[in-house]
Amino acid sequence: MAAALEIADLVKRYPTGTEALKGVSLEIGAGEFFGLLGPNGAGKSTLIHCTTGLAQPTAGDIRVFGHDAVHHYAEARLAVGLAPQDLNLDWFLTCEETLDYHGGYFGMPRRERKQRATELLDAFSLTAKKDDRTRTLSGGMKRRLILARALMHRPRLLILDEPTAGVDVELRLELWHYVQRINAEGTTILLTTHYLEEAEQLCDRIAFINDGRIVAQGSSRELADTYGVASLEDAYLELVGRKELSRAHILGEAP
Amino acid sequence: MTAAQIRFLALVRREVTRFLKIKRQTLGAPMLETFLYISVFGAALGSRIDKLHGVDYVVFIVPGLIMMAWAMNAFSNNSSSILQQKFQRAIDDQLSSPASPLELLLAFTFGGFLRGLIVATITFCAAAILVEIPVEHVLVLVPSLFLVGFFFAQLGVLVGVRAEQFDDVSFYQTFLLTPLIFLGGVFYSAQLLPEPFQTLTYFDPVYYMIGLVRYGFLGYSDTSVELSLLFLTAAALALFTMNFRLFARGYKLRA
Repeated sequence: MAAALEIADLVKRYPTGTEALKGVSLEIGAGEFFGLLGPNGAGKSTLIHCTTGLAQPTAGDIRVFGHDAVHHYAEARLAVGLAPQDLNLDWFLTCEETLDYHGGYFGMPRRERKQRATELLDAFSLTAKKDDRTRTLSGGMKRRLILARALMHRPRLLILDEPTAGVDVELRLELWHYVQRINAEGTTILLTTHYLEEAEQLCDRIAFINDGRIVAQGSSRELADTYGVASLEDAYLELVGRKELSRAHILGEAP
Repeated sequence: MTAAQIRFLALVRREVTRFLKIKRQTLGAPMLETFLYISVFGAALGSRIDKLHGVDYVVFIVPGLIMMAWAMNAFSNNSSSILQQKFQRAIDDQLSSPASPLELLLAFTFGGFLRGLIVATITFCAAAILVEIPVEHVLVLVPSLFLVGFFFAQLGVLVGVRAEQFDDVSFYQTFLLTPLIFLGGVFYSAQLLPEPFQTLTYFDPVYYMIGLVRYGFLGYSDTSVELSLLFLTAAALALFTMNFRLFARGYKLRA
């Protein structure tokens, strides 16, 4: 069976000359819950944008379930759902229309769109708001609608770009439960986050990306071992060169 | 219906939904403008002007008003819709779908084209209530108006894609489009102008478009109908080709 996502030697150079990705290679197996961690500007969002067609790779290859995601991308795009970091909802549309149009963009027939939208509005507690325009929603509701939109066309690979940034604890836990459930049902998930406990709690494997390169990958335990530290948090602090911030260091327990 | 047809329809429906949701601005305001033009130039000023090329002044200006309504609305719809979606990043939902650059371009084109068609039809109906409007050459009129609508829809797409702020759109509308349309002879015959203004008018492409539409309605034109049609077709195709290339490259749409 083809991997859910295969990235080979991916380079992205912006017209400004900034090289955001410097030959990234990565493979995520079907059904995995995979985390991508790195500091701001490390290349996480650029990698996601290249995978979803929002950025044009300079070089390299991206395959989603074996389908080319760069040039002949139609099949690959059908398999991917993106919940972006920005609350990029269309202000002119209602919640229901947002899901309906998205389903339309992915070629879903009308009856199926209606049924799926009703199901997702219910699942994300948005049924009462279905006829409200998206700009009137609270931040948490927008975040839920963005996740519902990403799931509308039943993607086999769900990409979550910092899905819990700025949301309250209750919603964060709600989203965790939901994504864990759909992962258990077979959806592959690629998650980027700045919350290490989130990655630790949810992800089977994690990759560290820094300065446009994947510098380490493995389970939370394996990453800690790679850096010779006690936890994922300490491994991350090693990565970003701020080990003086680790709890062990502060408590004077560091070797 | 195939998945591609559903997708294209959803992309067009999104554009139509947008302008229908703000119809006071997108349909109401142009109707009021037309009413004012007919009242001020036709009824008030027209009563003091004798016939122009054998027709009443108010009848003489109606073809230009209909063309102007279609042109302005096709342009402003597409330029502002694309810019707004870029600004909110809501366009990412379409860009990350399986839609091809051609489908995206055609869908945006249709949005403005249809809004222009609706406003031009309303303008025609409103004018027909006030004055009797002849239609002398329907086989020239219909393709001419469609080409004008298509040309300005393309121009709107081009400006919307290139624009980075709302000022960019209003700049083209205020400092380029409005002068070209007004100086193209909507409200007068170029033959009435003194030199050098008469010669300068011949460099205004809108002059030839108005000539075509006026010929379709009144059977009279200052310009060569065949050459004008040829020029307009070539210009519309050139703009379409340019826009297609921009969409294929993802110019100012994809990073």
